[in-house]
Amino acid sequence: MKFQSQKIAYWFFASAMLLLVLQIVYGFIMGFARIGMDGLHDFIPFNTARAVHTNLLVVWLLLGFMGSAYFIIPEEADRELKWPKLAWVQLISFLVVGVVAVIGYHINWWEGRKFLEIPRSLDYLVVVNVLAFIANIGVTIWQGKRHTTTSIVLFFGLFTAALLYLPGMIDFDNQTLDSFYRWWVVHLWVEGVWELIMGSLLCYLLIKLTGVDREIVEKWLYVIVGFTFLSGILGTGHHYYYIGAPKYWLMIGGIFSALEPLAFLGMAIYALAMAKKGGRRHPNKAALNWTLGSAIMSFVGAGFLGFAHTLPQVNMYTHGTLVTAMHGHMAFWGAYAMINLAMIAYVLPVLTGRKLWDNAASAYAFWLSNIGMTAMTGALAVAGITQVNLERRMGMDFLAVQKEIEIHFVGMILAACLFFLGICFYLYNFWRFGLPTNEAAHSDVRREEELPASAESAA
Amino acid sequence: MANTELWFCISNLNSFAAVLTKLQAKVFFLGGTAVFFGIFLVLSFDTHLKVPDQTREKDITPAVSAGKRIWEQNNCMGCHTLFGEGAYYAPELTKVVERRGKDWIRVFIKDPQAMFPGQRKMVKYNFSEQDIENVIAFLDWCGKVDLNGFPADPPLRQALQTIGTPVAASSGPAPLKKPVPAVFTTASCIGCHQIQGQGGAAGALIGAPPLDDVFRRYDREKLITWVKDPQKIKPGTKMPSLYGVAVNDAQLNEIADYLMSLNPAVAAPTVPAPVSTPAPAPATQPK
Repeated sequence: MKFQSQKIAYWFFASAMLLLVLQIVYGFIMGFARIGMDGLHDFIPFNTARAVHTNLLVVWLLLGFMGSAYFIIPEEADRELKWPKLAWVQLISFLVVGVVAVIGYHINWWEGRKFLEIPRSLDYLVVVNVLAFIANIGVTIWQGKRHTTTSIVLFFGLFTAALLYLPGMIDFDNQTLDSFYRWWVVHLWVEGVWELIMGSLLCYLLIKLTGVDREIVEKWLYVIVGFTFLSGILGTGHHYYYIGAPKYWLMIGGIFSALEPLAFLGMAIYALAMAKKGGRRHPNKAALNWTLGSAIMSFVGAGFLGFAHTLPQVNMYTHGTLVTAMHGHMAFWGAYAMINLAMIAYVLPVLTGRKLWDNAASAYAFWLSNIGMTAMTGALAVAGITQVNLERRMGMDFLAVQKEIEIHFVGMILAACLFFLGICFYLYNFWRFGLPTNEAAHSDVRREEELPASAESAA
Repeated sequence: MANTELWFCISNLNSFAAVLTKLQAKVFFLGGTAVFFGIFLVLSFDTHLKVPDQTREKDITPAVSAGKRIWEQNNCMGCHTLFGEGAYYAPELTKVVERRGKDWIRVFIKDPQAMFPGQRKMVKYNFSEQDIENVIAFLDWCGKVDLNGFPADPPLRQALQTIGTPVAASSGPAPLKKPVPAVFTTASCIGCHQIQGQGGAAGALIGAPPLDDVFRRYDREKLITWVKDPQKIKPGTKMPSLYGVAVNDAQLNEIADYLMSLNPAVAAPTVPAPVSTPAPAPATQPK
């Protein structure tokens, strides 16, 4: 840690971890409801659990991104954060809005649009909050001593993410247009500008962990995010096949979303190549694991599994089935959850000056959660494919099919237990790091950070 | 932002070759993004112009709009899918009006668990009659939007039907073929029971038997008693008590008349009609 104001990142990460646990709890509620154990139905019906599960995911990922930005931007701009107190206000108000929304979902107060369930009046608060965040990091970059590609791509990603929230707030009487603009938010976030954020976080971590020259890492960052937008923007069309939009989206969406895996493949190859190229052996094994893991799992989950049902001929039968849930779980885990966990694993030693980066708990956390998530995705895949065949291709009734695939949710719950165990190990390590300290700036961690970098420039 | 970007480019001129390639990479990113976002905007504009026709926007009455608000305010998408979008916990509702009929939905929505006892639960909303009509109007409009062929007819259904249609469990005279009167839809029987090869989708799971050969098991009177209070005759049965909810006396008589008329012995007077068909005890009927 170089600057005092970077410490705020810790509190963003801690809040994110809390919400992650809550997200998993609501996931379990849904899993049990699916095997008929729906005793909570009167208090937490499925639509409540589902809205809480997906919204908490978005909120904790955003908290992670914001925390990462508050850590990275001062370092990259080489100055203190412009308004550290505003960051605190922003964190607390963001959490309050989140908590109010979650409570609202339990008393049937929401907007009821997939992924954007948060009630309209709270939408405005989110906008104000995010504006404060953008202003804070924007001015810090502007007045910084250094302007790096990493910080600019990160800022550009966060800024456009904020901008793209707005189309989701337009009101339509026509369900088709409603859906059309809802995807401007949801798709262009997760398959567009969030990938800029992910790319820049990946880039920052690779620079720090592998010691490869910044110029090279950043050059390839441009190429990767270039491919992301090249495929991802028109790839939005894969949401427009069957919602009442013109037929040309079948071709445009089909072609461009088929290219989307290439961007993810590029990202995975890029991360692995940089790690191999880098001469530096950074002692933070956990952070390197999560970083490379994120690049690989995002290719598998978002790229490969997304491609599995993105062609219009296939999507005709998989659209609106559990196949989507299968892809969604691993995509979000690989691309966004893991990059956040990588950032946290990298940042905590720097903030606290403690070196819990190569212990048993961090290894268990990585492997158990990844194996658990892979198994969950497998269970959802079997359930989804069975549903597609029985319901969509043979014409069996929905509920009869659900009964047939119930057993796969037992498997899913078991896999989720393994996953949760991994997360518990991660949280245990998080807890052991303790709070950020001012002395961390002069600790071993800091020195180990700096030494190889100077050795590299000498070489 | 443009300023800082420019500053950044100039500040890195220390290594000409490296900057050139990094610049190229940057131009690729910015240029590619601009071009493809431009195409996306043009297509979106065109879509915006075409959607009103494709979705029959002129049919969006105040009732349809009001129904959409109810749909959103209760987060129906948190369980169901519409246009294939939503959660995957409850059925796709795009064509539900065509599939179930308005009457069925009217009865179902008032008490979902009564219609599917012991199965996956839906929240019991206290909708007013007007709310229910609005929701139905909204779903009816949704069902008529041109979705480029979605949802597709199950391609294997035809093939499976030729493999073998379900054979009635008990033996006896084959029931007659007769058109099914509308009352079976309005009274929602056809949602669970198969009649003349139609309907029966929801009942396949809970063992609701086809009704064509019901004359073998029940006489007219017994059938009416059964519909009036299924739990009394067979405690624990999945058959909902729809008498007074979806079925009134006149409808019940019509149902009984039709089902009894499927008995070839009654229809063909050359054979003396049996005085009373031996009705097996309810417990032995197919479950």
